[in-house]
Amino acid sequence: MNTKIMMIDDDPDFVAGIKSILEKADYSVDVAHNPKDGFQALQAGRYDLLLLDIMMGRGAEGVALARKIRKDPKLKEMPVLIITGLREQIAFLFPGQSVHPHFVETDELVEKPVEPKLLLEKVSSLLALAEEKKQKVPG
Amino acid sequence: MNQRSKLLIIDDEEIVLDSCTQILAGGDIQIVTASNGTLGLQLLKEFIPDLVFVDLKMPGISGLEVLEGIHDFDPNMVAIVITGYATVTSAVEAMKKGAYDFLPKPFTPDELRLIARRGLEKRRLILETVTLRKEKEMLREQFAAIVSHELKAPLGAVQQNLFVLVDELSNQLTDEQKNRFERMQTGIGDLIKMILTWLRALSVDVNKIQETFQPTSIASVVSKAVETVQTHATRKDIEIVPSIAEPLKPVNGDEGTLVETLVNLLNNAVKFSRSGSQIHLNVEEDENDVLISVIDSGIGISKEDLPYIFNDFYSGKSGQAVEKGSGIGLAITRRIVEAHHGAISVESEPGKGSTFTIRLPALKVPEHA
Repeated sequence: MNTKIMMIDDDPDFVAGIKSILEKADYSVDVAHNPKDGFQALQAGRYDLLLLDIMMGRGAEGVALARKIRKDPKLKEMPVLIITGLREQIAFLFPGQSVHPHFVETDELVEKPVEPKLLLEKVSSLLALAEEKKQKVPG
Repeated sequence: MNQRSKLLIIDDEEIVLDSCTQILAGGDIQIVTASNGTLGLQLLKEFIPDLVFVDLKMPGISGLEVLEGIHDFDPNMVAIVITGYATVTSAVEAMKKGAYDFLPKPFTPDELRLIARRGLEKRRLILETVTLRKEKEMLREQFAAIVSHELKAPLGAVQQNLFVLVDELSNQLTDEQKNRFERMQTGIGDLIKMILTWLRALSVDVNKIQETFQPTSIASVVSKAVETVQTHATRKDIEIVPSIAEPLKPVNGDEGTLVETLVNLLNNAVKFSRSGSQIHLNVEEDENDVLISVIDSGIGISKEDLPYIFNDFYSGKSGQAVEKGSGIGLAITRRIVEAHHGAISVESEPGKGSTFTIRLPALKVPEHA
């Protein structure tokens, strides 16, 4: 079965640049351009991984979405790759935490722009990690 | 619509209050009077005047005490003292307590009008400065959001698509074309890095790092910094020679930003050194401080540039043929060092080299621990 990826990012040019890397590697990619549509799509469909932008709309709306996902029983297991142009500020938005704050159970952080090789590596390692966790849960 | 100026007169002599009110009435001035200091200070808080006249010699609390009260309440309020015994000493003392000017008794109506006008003008300038300063702060804060979204995001998207194009076209591109793509990517990468540096310098409150200070080993800071700069140094055939006088007391600080400061200094040293030379990195301790020195034998800094090198956006005027920086690195370095309650200094001689020294307060190690 085809691996399905959801991407939530408000910058269509950036989305185009990411989507074509993933599609070339045989992932199927759906896109939402704001957190609200993205969350609805995630609840309606079945996705294996989420690519999430942090700075959308009026501020760090991606963070709010990640917190919502963590509380959702159906979505909380889903691995999330955070793609952000804001690594520098994240350390200051969340002082005292490492540069990579863990917003959800299984997540990773890469900086915009991301090289194709690195992107594919992160995606496949996150998918593998999620699969591993799933099998550990009995029943 | 222009707001009316508000004037408070504090004097125990009714005749002074009445005549001042008469002289200054009319025009755009609203006047309130008080017959003693205590009442005056109470009125101050309700009325919020622009300008206060205070008699120095009054029964009850003195004019100087009233001045102090005014200053404590709002240092931007303008106060002028009225004094019947116009001695230099009393005037000087009043000025020291924050009075803007003094008016010796007896005075003519014109003298009063003139000094009142000057006082109100002063107040207007102060308020204008306060507003401008606030606006500047707001701009600075908004700068982060504007720069990151309006400048950096589109560049990131362009870079992302360049990555993809190179990847997708990898079989069709000639070496010359690949080379051109690479140069575009490098150019955009440099731009993104520069924007990040500016963003960092202008929008981030460096003092926030103090919230997470902990005992930090300078030896570890040094080794991490040297590791980061090593590639740059090796490429220019420059040797970095660290020398640490162990044992060293730790400092109370933030390792990440301390490494950043040292990386900045080392990168500069490499940038301005000749191939084949050495950079010495000495760490030692004196009574209370840990001293970190970065010593190069490079091109040095001219006397004219030296006083400004820790300022924002200063990257040298003397026109030496070297790599140009963003002019931000040393300014950030200084701010980080100051956030650590330390100091940074420089000595330099053109043609001979520069020595940068960071002084950080050492942590007192408990005797018995």
